[in-house]
Amino acid sequence: MSTQVLEAPAPKKNGPVGGGLLDPKQMIRSLPDALRKLNPMTLWRNPVMFIVEIGAVFTTVLAIVDPSVFAWAIVVWLWLTVVFANLAEAVAEGRGKAQAATLRAAKRDTTARRLTRRAPDEWEVVGAAELSQGDVVVVEAGEVIPGDGDVIEGIASVDESAITGESAPVIRESGGDRSAVTGGTKVLSDRIVVKITQKPGESFVDRMIALVEGANRQKTPNEIALNILLAALTIIFLIATATMQPLAIYSKSVNPGVPDSLALTADGVTGIVLVSLIVCLIPTTIGALLSAIGIAGMDRLVQRNVLAMSGRAVEAAGDVSTLLLDKTGTITLGNRQAAEFVPVAGITEAELAEAAQVSSLADETPEGRSIVVFAKERYGLREREIHGAEWVPFTAQTRMSGVNLGGREVRKGAATAVMKWVRDAGGHPTDDIGHIVDGVSASGGTPLVVAEKGRVLGVIHLKDVVKQGMRERFDEMRRMGIRTVMITGDNPLTAKAIADEAGVDDFLAEATPEDKLALIRKEQEGGRLVAMTGDGTNDAPALAQSDVGVAMNTGTSAAKEAGNMVDLDSNPTKLIEIVEIGKQLLITRGALTTFSIANDIAKYFAIIPAMFAAVYPGLDTLNIMRLSSPQSAILSAVIFNALVIVALIPLALRGVRYRPSSASKLLSRNLYVYGLGGIVAPFVGIKIIDLIIQFLPGMS
Amino acid sequence: MERMPSWIRQHVAALRAVLVLTVVTGVIYPAVTTGVAQAVFNDKANGSLIEKNGTVVGSALVGQSFTDTDGNPIRTYFQSRPSAAGDGYDPTSTSASNLGPEDVIDTLPVPGAEDQGRQSLLTQVCARSKAVGELEGVSGARPYCTPDGVGAVLKVFPDRAVSVNQACPATPFITAYQGLKVECAQRGEDYAAGRTVPIRGNAGQPEVPADAVTASGSGLDPHISVAYADLQAARVARERGLPVEQVKALIGEHTTGRALGFMGEPVVNVLELNLALDGS
Amino acid sequence: MSSTLAGILFIASLLLALALCYKPLGDYMYRVYTGTRHLAVERVLYRLVGVKPDVEQRWGVYARSVLAFSALSLLFLYALQRLQSHLFLSLGMGPVEPSLAWNTAVSFVSNTNWQAYSGESTMGHVVQTAGLAVQNFVSAAVGMAVAIALVRGFARKRSDTLGNFWVDLVRGTIRILLPISFVAALVLVAGGAIQTFADHSTWTTLTGGEQTFTPAAAASQEVIKLLGTNGGGIFNANSAHPFENPTSWTNLLEIFLLTVIAACLPRTFGRMVGDNRQGYAIVSVIAIIAIISIGVTNWSELSANGTVPQAIGQAMEGREARFGVSNSGLFATATTLTSTGAVDSFHDSYSAIGGGMLIFNMLLGEVAPGGVGAGLYGILVLAVITVFVAGLMVGRTPEYLGKKIGAREIKLASTYFLVMPVLVLVGTAVAMATSNGRAAMLNTGPHGLSEILYAYTSASNNNGSAFGGVSVNTPFYNTTLGLCMLFGRFVPIVLVLALAGSLAEQGPVPASAGTLPTYRPQFVGMLVGVTVILVALTFLPALALGPLAEGLL
Repeated sequence: MSTQVLEAPAPKKNGPVGGGLLDPKQMIRSLPDALRKLNPMTLWRNPVMFIVEIGAVFTTVLAIVDPSVFAWAIVVWLWLTVVFANLAEAVAEGRGKAQAATLRAAKRDTTARRLTRRAPDEWEVVGAAELSQGDVVVVEAGEVIPGDGDVIEGIASVDESAITGESAPVIRESGGDRSAVTGGTKVLSDRIVVKITQKPGESFVDRMIALVEGANRQKTPNEIALNILLAALTIIFLIATATMQPLAIYSKSVNPGVPDSLALTADGVTGIVLVSLIVCLIPTTIGALLSAIGIAGMDRLVQRNVLAMSGRAVEAAGDVSTLLLDKTGTITLGNRQAAEFVPVAGITEAELAEAAQVSSLADETPEGRSIVVFAKERYGLREREIHGAEWVPFTAQTRMSGVNLGGREVRKGAATAVMKWVRDAGGHPTDDIGHIVDGVSASGGTPLVVAEKGRVLGVIHLKDVVKQGMRERFDEMRRMGIRTVMITGDNPLTAKAIADEAGVDDFLAEATPEDKLALIRKEQEGGRLVAMTGDGTNDAPALAQSDVGVAMNTGTSAAKEAGNMVDLDSNPTKLIEIVEIGKQLLITRGALTTFSIANDIAKYFAIIPAMFAAVYPGLDTLNIMRLSSPQSAILSAVIFNALVIVALIPLALRGVRYRPSSASKLLSRNLYVYGLGGIVAPFVGIKIIDLIIQFLPGMS
Repeated sequence: MERMPSWIRQHVAALRAVLVLTVVTGVIYPAVTTGVAQAVFNDKANGSLIEKNGTVVGSALVGQSFTDTDGNPIRTYFQSRPSAAGDGYDPTSTSASNLGPEDVIDTLPVPGAEDQGRQSLLTQVCARSKAVGELEGVSGARPYCTPDGVGAVLKVFPDRAVSVNQACPATPFITAYQGLKVECAQRGEDYAAGRTVPIRGNAGQPEVPADAVTASGSGLDPHISVAYADLQAARVARERGLPVEQVKALIGEHTTGRALGFMGEPVVNVLELNLALDGS
Repeated sequence: MSSTLAGILFIASLLLALALCYKPLGDYMYRVYTGTRHLAVERVLYRLVGVKPDVEQRWGVYARSVLAFSALSLLFLYALQRLQSHLFLSLGMGPVEPSLAWNTAVSFVSNTNWQAYSGESTMGHVVQTAGLAVQNFVSAAVGMAVAIALVRGFARKRSDTLGNFWVDLVRGTIRILLPISFVAALVLVAGGAIQTFADHSTWTTLTGGEQTFTPAAAASQEVIKLLGTNGGGIFNANSAHPFENPTSWTNLLEIFLLTVIAACLPRTFGRMVGDNRQGYAIVSVIAIIAIISIGVTNWSELSANGTVPQAIGQAMEGREARFGVSNSGLFATATTLTSTGAVDSFHDSYSAIGGGMLIFNMLLGEVAPGGVGAGLYGILVLAVITVFVAGLMVGRTPEYLGKKIGAREIKLASTYFLVMPVLVLVGTAVAMATSNGRAAMLNTGPHGLSEILYAYTSASNNNGSAFGGVSVNTPFYNTTLGLCMLFGRFVPIVLVLALAGSLAEQGPVPASAGTLPTYRPQFVGMLVGVTVILVALTFLPALALGPLAEGLL
């Protein structure tokens, strides 16, 4: 295993993660889809836009019966409003489709060699789709793995680029934490026997396809709540407009001298103007973009190679208040490294270094390699080929490893184990060894005691190396109100030292899977949402219990089943990005809702005087934009209402800018930009549109 | 009770609660309050009645009209504000006029018709102002009022303007409006289609105070403003043959200032003032 | 001293008095509703009512108790009016006509106290004191109980109960409303308000006319009419009547009484949720809205906007001389910002903008500070909606006071928010569309429209004040306004209790730096903004054709 040196987790990875850059070509490509979505059978699921469509149909009829430039202009822009809303959704979905196509290709034409139960090694060829849970298949080099499962026999290198985009092959072998294979990936070498764990049609790839296409996207809890609020606002504005009619009729009747206008007759406000008012008031902006925001949010995750099994999990990520992070690989570089040789009295550093190196020459663990390298770099001791050596491997029972070289026996390992070994051989460890061991532990290091038969030589100080930039990251988290807890198998002393160095808020030392589960339960009882990553089978219960459980793609099927997200890059720091995406998703919805409602103020100032200034000239005071004519005012408001949807599609797809900071600061910023901006923008926009369209025929 | 269905039990409890609380808050509370009030503040609890020569002539808190049976002011008395309570200061029918700030167009009475017409609030104000002015010998002119004491309001049509509150054959208060000839209003004609234009005119600060031309909220307002009392002082003094200073001194005696110097407005109690005049 | 300065001092003295009461009264009410001990007299009452005071109720049971109690109150009050001729001390008044009796019963039970009747010529002593005044007490206590239940919903953790309605009802009445009423009633009598069960008597006036003394237990009823934000006057002229509100200082006392409980309940709320800052935030929202409203109304009235006020020179039409324009304006603002509906001047004669502001005050849902209890639960529901939008903008599932605002909470809050506009707008539209409805207008043009809009606004918000001109004692108005009052009161109550139940079940979410703080000026500003903007957007068309059309002539 190579020591992968990770950069400090960057907020955004290189590659396709650009977010919602709006490609005009993409818009045009999505146009047919947008038009298809005009079908009322599909549109009714979006009540706000459905009402706009009904209004558009109604005004079309009115315009046919009583045509005028004004009427037809309104009709066109009402239809465009619906199309723009559909376009937003279609563009969002479109971006998933390309990815889905690649995935489908991987699925197509796969056949499986299913082992029969009649005799060993007897198999039959079946379509991948026919495989059911519990079937056992054989896959050889060059073949595509027909379904998700666990390797139960053999080892193979597998090309998983179809799903992860990573071209380097990975090793999959039976037993342990690297046994899971994914359907659609390709075996490059060797032969493995796989037990299928998926149900037909529910493979990882199937779910991925569904996910990126946004096919059966479930509305998330906050989205449902927001939809209810939007429905309530829609009802209110419908009623406000509908009940205006008797009032308008009355107002017209008490001013019999005022001639009928395009907006107001003795029968009240004309149908076209009434529909225009309704459409302008109901929250069309957020109504049009809501599902696009959701799809794009999931898409942003996919682009970061994270698959969320439900939108609910993404939303929960925004709410997380406790983050459980495994120390190794997340906070520290994957492995501890030798940092110092501390000899006991009477032994020189060089002697100790030599013994340490000798004992580690055959040790292929990263720690062992780091000892050899450190000895070489610091003391100029070169690696040697030693003949006739008898290697003593590490076992859980002995808790030490070493070498027997003729009469010389060298051991290194956990302090208690090595000391016992020394005593058993009749030696007496000196007192200072205890101090050295404690000192190393206290500084957060791991002491490995090195001994020769009968005497202790000294201690190797193995040190965890905290990744760069982690402290800043955790400070950010703290500002966002998220508590970080480091999980480690180290003893409390070591754990504390690393926790302090990394800047996490808390740590759980000597953690067993049960401890982890208990910690999650405790946090949840206090009302906190917990996120964690995991890969092993023993992580599964904790992953299942946590609110956001991110399983590493390299992990076991059990872990992947238990979590509600899978990180294809298997990068534990991804959790931080997931939290940010979750928050960004909610912020985008909230910001656009605020913007949408704030827009209404200007629209009222455009439309109310346009409707009623004829009967009550005083109401022209409300025409603070000084729009040129009633027709032009109403049409400008409708056009603005439609164009603002298109203008905001990129924002909906990309998500509003998110910078980790406290809730108060975030709210202030978003209130200024989307609240105040939402009030001001339409005044400017409607005025500009009015300046342009006033020259159209029929506008005065 | 335990055997009843829970919804019935709930309603039985509710009924008992209504009755029990009625006894507590509807019988005991008012009875005790009345008992204490009658014992401690007997006069006030019974309406602050005022006697003259042993008979009750009113309440210090309830205003009265000082007019004769035809409704004309009795010149020896200070006059109260106009009242919308019944026929004026009727305690069994307390009320305000409830007319709005843009109530400016009269419905002119048509002789012989059932509908006796209706005076707008503006015309009422103008008419009262004119009458008070005449009574007190000052100008009754006000903004938006015609010299003949109705609201100065035009209905403007494309080809003419009509002074709607001035029934023909009255002379319109202006002859022309923006080049249009102003006509007097024909009774019974519908001018609704015209544009309403009240004309402010050039009346300055009115000499008749505001409270003299407006009805109070209760219709029983026992007070008038100090300004209105001062305005009436000369006339009352003249009619009664008293020196003005003496009348003004009486006004001072019956003026209630602002409570603690900042609550409400200084006012003069008309009934008490008139009683004091009768007694002096 | 100039009138303007005196008016400002008058307003300042009210605000000061309320500020001084905020802590002591708020804390006292906190102890009343959270204490575990029962007074001896309360134990007797519980035994008489037949309830176990220590049994807690789930929200559904609590709501059914509220409804059962109100339903029986309604029946009782209706019966009392219909049987008036058989009652003693009835001053010779006959039975109240059915549609009026229904309207009045609904009106008092729903804490609206809309007066389609004229007190001095319709109601005798018994109906007044044992009928109407009783509802003044208990309908107020019901409102407070529901508000407290909602606050418990926020304060409790994983609980399925909200307290006991009967206990809340009895304690609110016995420990809060009764003692204050008793003291204040005597103060009012000292000022000149009458308090007698005598019969009518007649005197001959100085000029030989006749006047009738209209006796009433006025002071005792006046006080609870204000304290309980009820507003139904003993006399038709309501608090303009010298027997109800005799002097300029009783005027201040009355304004104080009608605002004090609602203004101090945020303190109780803060104490109950364990964070006084939350109470200060809510009371700040109330203060900001109230001060702006007082300012607008006073400005418009003092500058005598409108043709007739200009002709008069001073907006004295419908005002008492002893109160003057400014103090009357404060009373009008206070009565519409709360759900009181008492008047010491007549709103129909207010300037278009001033009167429009009064309508707007009610359209805010009467939350600044609103009816006793009803104001608090109204603004908390608005806070829930505000928190929802704001919470999304900080990237978390919105939470208020540690409780998550999810789909269920938003459904209840949104429905709550829908009820009032639907009633007001549909009611107004129906009245404007029917000749029955239009016939009731006293004024014409936009002012007539304002009268109708005012009536439905007042009824649906349980205010009870009126643009007095509209003749509402007709079967059409008695029925439709009665329905508005009924639904405007009890649908929101059920929704609030359901919301309380839903919140109480939740465990708390601990606050962190990522939680939106709901006690900072930022949130206060946002809550003011959401409240005002949502209401403005909902009602602008109607307001444009009424007050705005009239005021912007």
